[in-house]
Amino acid sequence: MIDVARIDHWAASGTGRFHQVSVGAKMVFVLLVVASAVLARNPYPLAIGYGVLLVVAMATGLHWTRVIVLSWYGALFALLYGLSLRGGIWTVALLMIKAITPAFAVLMLIVSTPYPRIFSLLNVFFPEILAAGLFMTYRTLFILLDMMDNFAAAIRFRGGFSPGSLYKNSANISRGIGMLLVRAVERASRLYAVMAVRGYSGSMAEKGTIRFQRQDWLPLGTGALLLLLVLVWK
Amino acid sequence: MTHMHIPDGVLPVWLWLLGFGIMAAAAAFCLFRLRTVDLKKKVPLLGAVSAAMLVVMSLEILPIAYHINLTVVAGILLGPALGFLAAIITNLILAFMGHGGITVIGLNTLLLGSEAVLGHTLFYLFKKRLPVFWRAAAATILTLFITTMALIGFVAISHIEPVLILHGDEPGHVHESVVTIKRFAVMVLSLGVLGWIIEAAITGYVVRFISQVKPDLLAHVLHAEKPGQSQGNEQ
Repeated sequence: MIDVARIDHWAASGTGRFHQVSVGAKMVFVLLVVASAVLARNPYPLAIGYGVLLVVAMATGLHWTRVIVLSWYGALFALLYGLSLRGGIWTVALLMIKAITPAFAVLMLIVSTPYPRIFSLLNVFFPEILAAGLFMTYRTLFILLDMMDNFAAAIRFRGGFSPGSLYKNSANISRGIGMLLVRAVERASRLYAVMAVRGYSGSMAEKGTIRFQRQDWLPLGTGALLLLLVLVWK
Repeated sequence: MTHMHIPDGVLPVWLWLLGFGIMAAAAAFCLFRLRTVDLKKKVPLLGAVSAAMLVVMSLEILPIAYHINLTVVAGILLGPALGFLAAIITNLILAFMGHGGITVIGLNTLLLGSEAVLGHTLFYLFKKRLPVFWRAAAATILTLFITTMALIGFVAISHIEPVLILHGDEPGHVHESVVTIKRFAVMVLSLGVLGWIIEAAITGYVVRFISQVKPDLLAHVLHAEKPGQSQGNEQ
């Protein structure tokens, strides 16, 4: 899985131009790029669009090398799906570029926006339980990732991993997952007690508002350009 | 592992829109079922189990590139309605990590959510007929079989011809889709069986571990069994 902690650090600590853009504008930007991928029937405009996104990422000081690497994650599955269609190199190329271009846009959003701000905006559309669940999952995720790392280190030191012994490894991993779940639930119960004492009444996330500002021309313009390119270059 | 890593723009628009529609309807039904529950008390548990699902998904089993989902465990621990909501949360966060397309969130949630619902239902149905480990493992195998068939169904529906994806002209593939779907099904089912066995074993171990260490978490599905009895049964 993608290194969530590092992405969170980039999103929270960055000061580039893309970081200063409103969350609403970046969400619209992602939707425009997804719409471009949905409508594309030709790999060329999307390939150019990928290049445009790359230039924007470089110019605005995003961690573009990591974003490239991460955006190619879905390419493998697109390749396999394209091969299963047996449609030739153009089909495969189109599917792969359809996979990596929206992924690049989503990554531009998440490396420049802390997750709580994204969730705040989603809170406008989602029921309270889902919005609160997203926040709580995000908060717990980092704790559990640390716990899993510690568990993996501990089990290695104690000789718990033995290459070739699937049974032993599975049993040890399962105990680790079981412990992880039990600890996660215990922490969640303690957290609920603390939250209740502090007056928690079911609402955790501040509701975001969609407000555009002057700097938003960059993501909105980039997304619109990409969509236009796809619509014109059929 | 029954969720689709299909990129945006590949599936027919009606299919992924239908996926979002059914997901919204299912979520509304779950919220209706939970109307009598004090949901604010469940938020920390929902977050903890959803986060655990995300962490476990990062553990890839080589060389078959399979990753377990823990959805059956989520269904057993949270119940079907909250389990479905956990699937929505997990898929949203996965999509916002660039792991899978935005347009397939609805269909993927239906697959993972149905694993949680089926896992809970089957585990509940097997009560007392089997020890805890085998109850969880059997529920997992059956659940994954059903949801994998649903996955193949989705892909079969979505398997449009390359000429329809491309504007260009690549003739000669008109009768291929039936063959490729069969091949896809054989590939998924043959690799999947190995994955199901691994996931069933891990789910069985995890549920047995929880029943030994913190049986109150399973009280709603273990029913009248006392902790001591469940420990004795499972071997």
